[in-house]
Amino acid sequence: MTKRIRSKIARGSGELAILSILSEQQLYGFEISRQIGERTGGALKFTLASLYPLLYDMEKRGWVEGRWQANHAGRDRRYYRLTPNGRKQLAPLKKEWRTFFHALDTLAGVSHA
Amino acid sequence: MPDWKTIVRERMSSPNSPLNLKEDVIAELAAHLEEICEEARLCNLDEPAAINLALQEVDDWRVLAASIRRAKSEEDSVNDRTKSLWLPAMANLIVAPGLLMIIQKLAVQPRVLWIGDMALVLYLPWLVTLPLFGGLGAFLAKRAHARFVHRLIVGLSPALAVLGAFALVLPVSLVIDRQAFRHFPFAYFVLTICNWVVLPAFALLLGTLPFLGELAALDTQRGTT
Repeated sequence: MTKRIRSKIARGSGELAILSILSEQQLYGFEISRQIGERTGGALKFTLASLYPLLYDMEKRGWVEGRWQANHAGRDRRYYRLTPNGRKQLAPLKKEWRTFFHALDTLAGVSHA
Repeated sequence: MPDWKTIVRERMSSPNSPLNLKEDVIAELAAHLEEICEEARLCNLDEPAAINLALQEVDDWRVLAASIRRAKSEEDSVNDRTKSLWLPAMANLIVAPGLLMIIQKLAVQPRVLWIGDMALVLYLPWLVTLPLFGGLGAFLAKRAHARFVHRLIVGLSPALAVLGAFALVLPVSLVIDRQAFRHFPFAYFVLTICNWVVLPAFALLLGTLPFLGELAALDTQRGTT
């Protein structure tokens, strides 16, 4: 039960992190993982094994779309960008997480921890 | 630098799970590992250590391969509804009206019940077979793990389709030729709906009911997973 909840939380936070970062610019997998790591001070870390199944699943759901194009070094990379459907998911997801953290805060004062 | 595509391809395949990942997935994962390795090299790691660091991104390649196959598979999301709702409903929608057409072609006379000066036209052989079709549709939906509402919709689909047609045709006809409806009393429309929607729906429901069982357990389970 706890494992399932933890897995759902991890998955949900991963989706939000990816949607948020792609809402600013299109990026390829390695850059997505690096930027999320850098911008969260390493608190959120995507390995290859955790990133791509999630990205492909989000692509299947029509939230992001990938397209091969050359990066700044001239190498082909699969760039992901948000679809209009993905952009629509962002606000409700943020709201869900805000509610979630508010609830935890009320319960355990986590924001002051 | 190692050939990352070969490494990924080899690790993602196993004797028990034949490789069916597309080359662009392998290329994408290989490119990711290549960049990790290059970045590690820039941090002065020697090549074996950098390669080792990149490979640490994946604990179990078979688990990763399975996760990607599952994520890439269209089957679970798109086809679930198709299998549990649309296909059984289509089957029901083809077979039930098809039988009515055959009955009419065979010139089977309907039983006509007069209510005042209005007639209720009953194709009894057709109505008698409708529970069978409702049951068949609901059975197919249940076999595809359809939820309660979907099983009900599939079972009643021929009646719902006629109701939909009425809901569409009547307002449109009213707009096109308002005068035409002057000759028909309101009761005529009620009778028509009874004749082609309510009675068939009732007959279909009789057949559907046995396949609506286990609804509470199934739907509760869905709600918690």
